[in-house]
Amino acid sequence: MQAESTERIAYAAPRTRGLMRGRAFLVRLLNDIRVFPALLLIPVLIFFILWNVIPTLWMIGLSFYKYSLMSPNERFLGLRNYNDILNDVQVWASLGRTFVWVFAGVSIQTALGFLLGLLFWGSRDMPGRRIALTMLFAPMIITPIAAGAFFQLIYEPTFGVVNWVVRQFGGNVNLLGDTNLAFGAVLFVDIWMWTPFMILITLAALGSVPKAELEAAEVDRLPWLQRFRHIILPNAKFILMLGILLRTIDSFKTLDLIYLMTRGGPGNTTDLIALLLRRQAFEALEFGWASALALILLLTAIAFTSIYLYILNLSSKRQEA
Amino acid sequence: MMRVRGWRKTVYHTALWLVALIFFAPIAWIILGAFKTRSGILATPPLLIFTPTLDNFIDLFSRRNIPGYFLNSFVMSLSAMVIAIVVSFMAAYAFSRFKPRITNFLMFMLLSIRMVPAVAVVVPVYLMYAAIGWKNSYIGLILFYAMFSIPFSVWILKGFLDGVSQRYDETALVNGGTRWHVLFRVVLPQVAPGLVAAFIFNLIFVWNEFLFNLILGGRDTTMIPVAFSTDLYSDGGLNWTFIAAMATAYMIPPIILVYVFQKYLLVGMTFGTVRGEV
Repeated sequence: MQAESTERIAYAAPRTRGLMRGRAFLVRLLNDIRVFPALLLIPVLIFFILWNVIPTLWMIGLSFYKYSLMSPNERFLGLRNYNDILNDVQVWASLGRTFVWVFAGVSIQTALGFLLGLLFWGSRDMPGRRIALTMLFAPMIITPIAAGAFFQLIYEPTFGVVNWVVRQFGGNVNLLGDTNLAFGAVLFVDIWMWTPFMILITLAALGSVPKAELEAAEVDRLPWLQRFRHIILPNAKFILMLGILLRTIDSFKTLDLIYLMTRGGPGNTTDLIALLLRRQAFEALEFGWASALALILLLTAIAFTSIYLYILNLSSKRQEA
Repeated sequence: MMRVRGWRKTVYHTALWLVALIFFAPIAWIILGAFKTRSGILATPPLLIFTPTLDNFIDLFSRRNIPGYFLNSFVMSLSAMVIAIVVSFMAAYAFSRFKPRITNFLMFMLLSIRMVPAVAVVVPVYLMYAAIGWKNSYIGLILFYAMFSIPFSVWILKGFLDGVSQRYDETALVNGGTRWHVLFRVVLPQVAPGLVAAFIFNLIFVWNEFLFNLILGGRDTTMIPVAFSTDLYSDGGLNWTFIAAMATAYMIPPIILVYVFQKYLLVGMTFGTVRGEV
């Protein structure tokens, strides 16, 4: 027994030594200044290539074809899909509505959020601040789908709270069923959800105003409007702009909330571009056409991103200066 | 900055609380609704005082599919996050310390993924998944969510890593630590707040996500937001007690997370591009 185990050790030793050498080599390799950064980047590159580069190339390719899951044979169309989209009345109507949606939504959120943000500026020592802020910011944290679902209940014509109040004054509204009111009713939910975001941004922006300048203004007894124009706005501008731009981009993407509340109806009155694209791709199954539209939206988004980064660069340069 | 004293301060704080309560009112209303009976939730005038009941929650969790949907939400958001955070941390460290030439390009592309309408992203991925049979699979959805969370995490972590002095890395290296040791044992603890922020806000994002799950998922991989759009109808109309209970159960975790991690809210809601606290 003894002999056997010695023997085993004798056999094992050189192998372990070889293994050790192998391990040392591996450690050196993994530690190498040329290998190490590459290893760090490989996973992200794999994700990036598999889920972005390849699908995007695929999409670019498809956008030149008539490719529908309904009919199996694809046909090369060249730029016909793009031509169709640019001449499609529905697309332009949808884009128009999306523009109104973004413009109205973001400006109301910004104005309201900014005013409320100013109000909350001195709230450091308010009792129960943390709970109050959690409640204030809750609308943007919950899933838009849940918000859409319970606003449907609140808007419900028979037993919803809104119509109950309206009925006390002798009226009667079916907010989501009325072609004139549905857009506003859904937009209201969006404003409710995202005004807190602009409050948050405003608080951050106001926080970036140097205390010294504010105190100097206090000492000089500068009137409020002047303080606002000469001290607050120049300092707070960049973060506010980043917030507005983020909101613009997100608002442009809106789908969940409307999909759940109205599916673009009644009529087409709440049909934004993202909903149109979803319908064409996953209901009509016109993937060639949908790819072309998706690509147009992709380019739009890249343009937005460039503006965003431009402002971000400006603001960080400012902070360094 | 407003400086107020005495009774004016009380008025000011009351006003702030009122604003918070107004924004919270619709959520509070639905939470109340979740504890009402079916006739209670549909009562006119609306009921403010009632005997609370847990029946809606019992009904919710005794439905055959619902516990599974909740479990899907948990499993997918957590596992996607773990993958995303590890991948992003390594990438962000490489971008921050070695500044390879592709840094700016990649950071830009990563950010623009988040700016594109989700439905435009999902069209080609849907075709790809249909081709390789990953539709309605956990692996497909988890990896997709991880991919979608990486841009945000890389941005946020790079910001935090840029703020950690390179001295730490150098000291540890001189003392004989391997680069991996430096990465995970020396640098990682320094950016713990960034990791937490990235983790929490991506978690909330996946938890709330709807469209990808609707299109790339299926019966086995449904999460609650999709269940909202498909399981709402019963007895020919919308089942309000069910909606109220499901919304309440689903909203509570993110709201608690925001309460606990409030100081990361700002960095979390702005892709990590605006730093600071509120």
